[in-house]
Amino acid sequence: MAELKTPQELGTERIGKLLIRYAVPAMIAMLASSLYNIVDRAFIGHGVGSMALSGLAVTFPLMNLSAALGSMVGVGSGTMISLKLGQKDHESAQMLLGNSVTLNILIGVLFGALSLIFINPILTLFGATEVTIGFAREYMIIILAGNAFTHLYLGINCILRAAGHPNKAMIATIGTVLLNTFLDYLFIMVFHWGIKGAAIATVISQVLAFTWQCFQLSDKSELIHLKRGTFRLRGDLVKNILTIGLSPCLMNAAACFVVLLINRGLLKYGSDVAIGAYSIINSIGFMIVMMVMGFNQAMQPIAGYNYGARQMDRVLRVLYLTMFFGTCVTTLGFVIAEFMPGACIRIFTNDPELTGIARNGMMINFIFFPLIGSQMVIGNFFQSIGMPGKSIIMSLSRQLLLLIPFLIILPRYYGINGIWYSMPASDILSVILGFSLLIPQVRKLKKMV
Amino acid sequence: MDKHYCICIGRKFCSGGRNVAAIVAEKLGIRVYDKDLLKKAAQDTGFSEKFFDEADEEKTRKGLRSLFISHFTGSGLSSNYLSNESIFNMQSDAIRRIHEQEDCVFIGRCADYVLRESDRLLNVFIASDMDDRVARVCRHADDGMTQPKALSLIEDIDRKRSSYYNYFTGRTWGDPAFYDICLNSTTLGYDRCAEIIVELARERLGI
Repeated sequence: MAELKTPQELGTERIGKLLIRYAVPAMIAMLASSLYNIVDRAFIGHGVGSMALSGLAVTFPLMNLSAALGSMVGVGSGTMISLKLGQKDHESAQMLLGNSVTLNILIGVLFGALSLIFINPILTLFGATEVTIGFAREYMIIILAGNAFTHLYLGINCILRAAGHPNKAMIATIGTVLLNTFLDYLFIMVFHWGIKGAAIATVISQVLAFTWQCFQLSDKSELIHLKRGTFRLRGDLVKNILTIGLSPCLMNAAACFVVLLINRGLLKYGSDVAIGAYSIINSIGFMIVMMVMGFNQAMQPIAGYNYGARQMDRVLRVLYLTMFFGTCVTTLGFVIAEFMPGACIRIFTNDPELTGIARNGMMINFIFFPLIGSQMVIGNFFQSIGMPGKSIIMSLSRQLLLLIPFLIILPRYYGINGIWYSMPASDILSVILGFSLLIPQVRKLKKMV
Repeated sequence: MDKHYCICIGRKFCSGGRNVAAIVAEKLGIRVYDKDLLKKAAQDTGFSEKFFDEADEEKTRKGLRSLFISHFTGSGLSSNYLSNESIFNMQSDAIRRIHEQEDCVFIGRCADYVLRESDRLLNVFIASDMDDRVARVCRHADDGMTQPKALSLIEDIDRKRSSYYNYFTGRTWGDPAFYDICLNSTTLGYDRCAEIIVELARERLGI
């Protein structure tokens, strides 16, 4: 946002060209972060075993929660910093950077320590059994010990992006993925450290990325850099950071709750293996979803600018085009999942039992995927034309409000398949909801053309 | 020294800030910018005026709740041109451009903070007694405006102005420490307020 100088081209250049130009960097960043998950899970699945994969899966809610807290500080301070940089108020931006580092350390250490103390009850709550808790604990103890670094790394990446260095943020993201892949291979395949190896690889790559970021931010010629005297917390800054960051944090925390419900359901109606299967399906689905998010991020400035300029024909064109691309991506996901599920699953495991469950789950889960593309775009569209209320409804509906009742009811009748059915069921309802919100809006926009 | 000077007037709702600003501007032969700023900003960005009008300081939702809602779904960092932050930035650019081009009076819109680096800047805050403000609201409003209603309207708008200002500037709205002079228009009257401002401006801004 710091570099926002309202480029007039957003109001004049061809929509298709604009969308592609904005989407490519966003997609690369999104793909990198989803690859991280896939790589970790693939090495653990093949190198350690399918029970380890399930052990890893029960730690997700906890990892989500940690990421939620990290994003709270990251998004809050990033937004504030870009605002201050826009005003050339470098002193305040500097204070915000220092304060966010302190906040990240405080929250990171506190969350890490509390989770370590209650590690057994927490993992049991999230669906661990005697078979899987060993793996989950082994992994999580190391991750939690490095928790402050995770927060620092993610937080500073947000700030780098906000401070007009999106390329540096991308280098950090991609670097972490590559390093993690290499270390995963080394620790798991060569040294045979088991699941512990994956955790150590994650922590090491984040510590190194953080060191690199610090190096970038210690350059005194930079507009904002780490400076002594900025680390003492200031009440008004902390309040602003946390208020802005609270909503993305709640969103992530809600996701954690849903994963918890799914894991427990899978355990109750299925087995530990089913939890591992879900983590495979989830990785693939996540990658597809992230690619659509890349298009969404590209749509936002284009739709927003033209809405502000009251060029409604261009607003509608970018909406339709993004919906088309989004649908293409999710349809691709659908084709892969329905017609070659085996190939996807082989990335993670060769275990026949796990493969069987994952294949069944995946084919049910992805059934309405071609429709989901437009649903995600619609939600983001409302956000980009300044209607966050409708946007909130859209994103809560698919992943939370509609999903939870299905997750509670359907398994009672259909067993483990009921859990798989819940996801497409909430997909289809949220698509209907999306179009019923969008159509009146489009009519309104058309009148304004 | 900057080529042009400017006088930034902050004001409590219905304290006659606009009247005082108009007298000052007439005496000095310069323009007043308040809502016109929005038009100016709109011209420069290609956005429609109506849109800027909707995002003005008194029309935005109350401070923290608005922040909470507007960042709910976004990553908060995507380039959303409609975010309060980016609109504020466009408006600030317009303020800076006007300041480079002419001498003028700015009313509200955090101009005092936006132009804080300028060496030809006079920051004024105008307040007045509550009774006076309530009476003024009742006089100017449509029929059916009662005293309690006027009171809550005043409190509401003051609160909006305050949270807008505090969020974007990191300063405290109405805190004397951030102004060169604070005036009470009830005790002084509009004309006297304007005289004092003009006198001070001549002395301080090298007019």
